[in-house]
Amino acid sequence: MMAPVTLDLVRTQPQHPLYARLASLGIPGNKTEQYRHFAIKPLLARDYALRTVTEHTPETGSRLVIENGSVTEIPAGVSVTYVSPFEADAAHYDALYCLSHLLSPAVICLEAASDVFFGLHHVFNEAQALLPYRICLSVLPEKRVEVFETFETKGSGESLLLYGIDADVQPHATLRWVRNESGTASETALVGTHRFDVKANGALELKTFDFGTARALHLYKIDLGEYGWCDAGHLLMAGGEARRGNVVRINHDKPYAKSVQDARTILKQTATGIFDGLIRVGEKARYASARQNSKAVLLDRNAYMYAKPQLEIYTDELEASHGATIGQLDEDALFYLRSRGIPEAEARKMLVLAFADALIESIGEGVLAERIRADFEAAYFTD
Amino acid sequence: MMEIKNIHAKIGENEILKGLNLTLEKGKVHAIMGPNGAGKSTLSKAVVGHYDVEVTGGEILYKGKNILEMAPEERALEGIFLSFQNPVEVPGVNNAYFLRTAFNAKERREGKPETNAAQFLKLMRMHIERLGMKPDMISRNLNEGFSGGEKKRNEILQMEVLQPDVILLDEIDSGLDIDALKAVSEGINRMKNGERTFLVITHYSRILDYIDPDYVHVLQEGRIVKTGGPELVKLLEAEGYQAIAGDA
Repeated sequence: MMAPVTLDLVRTQPQHPLYARLASLGIPGNKTEQYRHFAIKPLLARDYALRTVTEHTPETGSRLVIENGSVTEIPAGVSVTYVSPFEADAAHYDALYCLSHLLSPAVICLEAASDVFFGLHHVFNEAQALLPYRICLSVLPEKRVEVFETFETKGSGESLLLYGIDADVQPHATLRWVRNESGTASETALVGTHRFDVKANGALELKTFDFGTARALHLYKIDLGEYGWCDAGHLLMAGGEARRGNVVRINHDKPYAKSVQDARTILKQTATGIFDGLIRVGEKARYASARQNSKAVLLDRNAYMYAKPQLEIYTDELEASHGATIGQLDEDALFYLRSRGIPEAEARKMLVLAFADALIESIGEGVLAERIRADFEAAYFTD
Repeated sequence: MMEIKNIHAKIGENEILKGLNLTLEKGKVHAIMGPNGAGKSTLSKAVVGHYDVEVTGGEILYKGKNILEMAPEERALEGIFLSFQNPVEVPGVNNAYFLRTAFNAKERREGKPETNAAQFLKLMRMHIERLGMKPDMISRNLNEGFSGGEKKRNEILQMEVLQPDVILLDEIDSGLDIDALKAVSEGINRMKNGERTFLVITHYSRILDYIDPDYVHVLQEGRIVKTGGPELVKLLEAEGYQAIAGDA
């Protein structure tokens, strides 16, 4: 076993630009703003066996499969290379973004030469392991790439998955990233640190559906170029003692960019939900349009939602709005349904599904939406 | 058919119903009129088990049971239906899906097989056409963005589909234009079958011109203070509630 997660793990790379950044940010603790309600400290204090990415010759299949950090299957139309050194974002706000890069010197880089849709499936089945790996995706100009990301964890008790995406959406390209995070076992913790760089006229559609039961936090930095576009939606349903959520920083630094962010959270039992969103509109980002909204429904008295929607604006010429609501199911709506003979449990389910469906519908009707809807219902009925 | 005996009820700390007695006869149309704040809506909410209303005394007997001990959905499945004064908007819940769920809950209760989506849509379309509603009411979300008239027609649509035995109409005429009032009244009249009981709560006589009440009750300060026939409406219009208060 190795020691807990400290700077000592990467002290051998003092010349790496990310090391300086990590050293200045420090290993996160309970007072680090983006981890304040996530309880990161005990996670990093555990003893783990450190796993590193090994290069395999993957088989060609129907999807991209990454098993314990190694690519074991690739889909047609996607090429995979291991890039080292990788030029990561040394200005990323999160320390674990830097740490995961420093611990994963070989980044799994994906490239699609044409429009493509593929599944990205993560398999993680080692106990008491720290598994850092990074994925890089480049969407070439005027191409469209759609990714459906799923997870499978078995026997990975007391492990920490420290992974992330660095995506480069080139001019006039479109990336649609849909994550269904419903397969994570209760004992597996996950911290995803991501960076999406959307160039001029590029478009990013990021839809995440998280119905997990353990601890998971995704931290995003999204940079928008001129006329860049970002539509981010996050649906979180958590129960038990889960602590899960999203920290999102969207940067408008060029004019005419547009971002829309809609987060919906449903919490049961003693679960904690986190939505910490910041849209920053720089002084050169004239004519920006930025909208952010977080809505949370607490189904039980001891559930807790931490919502922090923020706008940081340095220009006068823009449209921007943000807001957050936290409440229970609408009692009037619940009564209305019951007054027509619908049993209370079914009425509650109808209202919760309706709340969630606003985001599920946003990916369009089809197999993906049906699967996500089924996973959502399964999570809703799990105690 | 339904006997409301010595009901006391409060909303918050305010006692609204103060020993109200009322017997609803099978197959009859009962109208309740009364000034603002008399307790008309509180009465209807007490009958259907609304969470706002705390019944502190009395009983409501229906089919041999005190329904105050039943959950709202149980009361509905026993055949009690309230058309709400202000039907709530329920974003994300499709109107047809909602009504089919309610319809099938009733079918299950009666030991009948559930109606599939295609069969139900056919039934719903027939009622929608008869009520002069727009066809898109099927696919819209429940009451979301509906005009006042559309909401009231949607209440009548639910009533016609669910075929309840006791129907409480809480100011069904408020906010309706003449055409909508006529369509809603026709819907109510279609439901009259000599078996079904109606309790029509209203401020105004105009809906009573369309649906001919058998009894008119005046509710004041939480009690029924006078009961009569349709002629009582004319008296109220001519002399106001103060005249009745004098009688009581």
